[in-house]
Amino acid sequence: MAGRPEGDDAGRHAHATARVCTPRTPVPDVPGVPDDPDDPGAPGPVWSRPSLALLTVTAAVLLGAALWHLALVFLSIAPPSPVRRTYAHAIEGHVYPEFAQDWRLFAPQPLRANVRVEARLRTAGGSGARRTGRWTSLTAQDVAGVRHSVLPSHADQNLLRLAWDFYRDTHDRREAPTGARGALATEYLKRIALSRLAHGGRGVDGERVVALQVRSRAVPVPPPHWTARPAARNAPHRTLPWWPVTPDEHRGL
Amino acid sequence: MNRPALPDRPAPLDRLARLIAFAARTHAPHQAALLRIGLGGVAAAFLLREWPHRRLLYGDRSPWAPDMAAQVVAEDHRFSVLLWSGGHWWFELVYHGAIVAAVLLTLGWRTRGTSVAFLVAVVSFDSRNPYLGDAGDNALRVMAVYLAFTRCGAVWSLDAHRRARARRQRRPAYDRAGVTLWQALGVLLLWVSDGFPHTAWAAVLWAFWAAHGLWYAAQRWPRGRQVRDLLDAATAMLHNCAMLVIAAQVCLIYATAGWYKVQGTLWQEGSGLYYALNLDYFMPWPALAGLLTHSMLVVFSLSYGTVFAQVTFPFLLGYRRLKNALLAVLMLEHLAIAVVLGIPFLSAMMIVSDAVFLPTSFLLSLGTRRPPRRGAGQPAVAGAPGQRYRTRRPGVRFPQAAGRAR
Repeated sequence: MAGRPEGDDAGRHAHATARVCTPRTPVPDVPGVPDDPDDPGAPGPVWSRPSLALLTVTAAVLLGAALWHLALVFLSIAPPSPVRRTYAHAIEGHVYPEFAQDWRLFAPQPLRANVRVEARLRTAGGSGARRTGRWTSLTAQDVAGVRHSVLPSHADQNLLRLAWDFYRDTHDRREAPTGARGALATEYLKRIALSRLAHGGRGVDGERVVALQVRSRAVPVPPPHWTARPAARNAPHRTLPWWPVTPDEHRGL
Repeated sequence: MNRPALPDRPAPLDRLARLIAFAARTHAPHQAALLRIGLGGVAAAFLLREWPHRRLLYGDRSPWAPDMAAQVVAEDHRFSVLLWSGGHWWFELVYHGAIVAAVLLTLGWRTRGTSVAFLVAVVSFDSRNPYLGDAGDNALRVMAVYLAFTRCGAVWSLDAHRRARARRQRRPAYDRAGVTLWQALGVLLLWVSDGFPHTAWAAVLWAFWAAHGLWYAAQRWPRGRQVRDLLDAATAMLHNCAMLVIAAQVCLIYATAGWYKVQGTLWQEGSGLYYALNLDYFMPWPALAGLLTHSMLVVFSLSYGTVFAQVTFPFLLGYRRLKNALLAVLMLEHLAIAVVLGIPFLSAMMIVSDAVFLPTSFLLSLGTRRPPRRGAGQPAVAGAPGQRYRTRRPGVRFPQAAGRAR
């Protein structure tokens, strides 16, 4: 079939498709002169039967692939279900990481508290004496950056906020990592705090940083004045253990 | 009017030919162009805004150190051009190259290549630190991938201008610069092909490259008319499927945002917005947030309105007038959110995504309202290619599909 001259096929089926597709307006076929491929009003070409078959298969494959993709993306963001569990491998394999998505901003519930993350350093002087610094609110620095900004930066709005979420999601209440990413989350949070508090591996007093501690507290948003709901009390601080700091952990900061 | 059925032309084949003629037409080229301009614009604006923080967010000073990023990239089967070298100058090259790609994409310069370069850049930045992006970055990444499969340069682009010029002058448009660029991209791709380990990306990029080369070859080949037509039809089908996926993706965004909110008691009692407006990270203007959250009725109406709009979005698309009104409302809401919640890039992404559903007649009327171009001395041939889109009146539907013409 492929070896047959095109004219033969076209001649045999021109009649067949004549009523279906308006014949192309006679345009001198200068090679390389673009038709207007973007003109939706232009009459389509007259397809020979093999071309029609080829295009039908193409259309079916493309449409099938598009629907398959959409089905997997849908399942990946749908609530947990037996279908999702059964085909978890196929869904993950297709969707992650390029098509991974989460659109649950402020859903199902918006946060009802402002999470404040604080950190402090422990430094060692020349004599070996350890000194523990004051708690510094890293969140307050972020909030100051966001305040009165028309275009808040990811450096203020996302960096620490999402790093804390990452840590919280990968650790249990006893601060033990719950998955393989736990160590990375710890390292990330530690380096964010170091980048804010230490300069060249040294604390504000110029002494070498040997350890770092992070704590956080959720400060509840007072309920709206039209509800009778009592204001929630401040939760106690969630204080993380002291993390030793090695010089290598300052790399690049 | 009973016509004798022609034995040579069975009805199913007739219907199939019509269907293929429909499928092989490039649908919604203006919407695709708008998406291209929007994505390129948002990405360029974002990279320029973060320029002072670029090394902290994506470079050598990032708390998400290159070795940590490399570990996650390997585990998740991602790729990031930014991690190909730890050098500072490589980072600067990629960062500024991404800005250039985004600007060129917006202008529509050699869109076939630029859209793929843009996709590589966007995925690279996302993979450099997957724990930095919010929903806006997420939407940008997903849409950038889809965009590469569309004919986003068909209209409102430098490419379209070049093609229109060639058509007017009835001269072949071999596009030597385009072919040279294509060859250069081939060499570049050969050079970096091992930069995408454990992913299908090298294969995808090579497929893009090969298809593009085939297109150029068919243009040069004097007898390539049929091949050109077939390629054109297949490309249009791919574009149509990508546009379908983009539209469905926008529906998925709204549907998940809406349906998950419906389950939350705070949204049910209509005070969801109150809490969203009281988060320090999303409160650039406390006085404005205070003003909005002061009144119970305002908070209730806006909370319910938001959830209604999001939940009903996919279902209202079928009703033309309601859909357009809803789009206007949603875009206004995103504009307000951009200011009040301080998430301008996320809002801009959502406006760009909404714009995919704007009616063609409206987009064309935007085109006609532009001031007349210089060089209006050209003979204004009625229906001259290239002038077509600008001269149509809003509300005029496109001529019927070729397959439906009697």
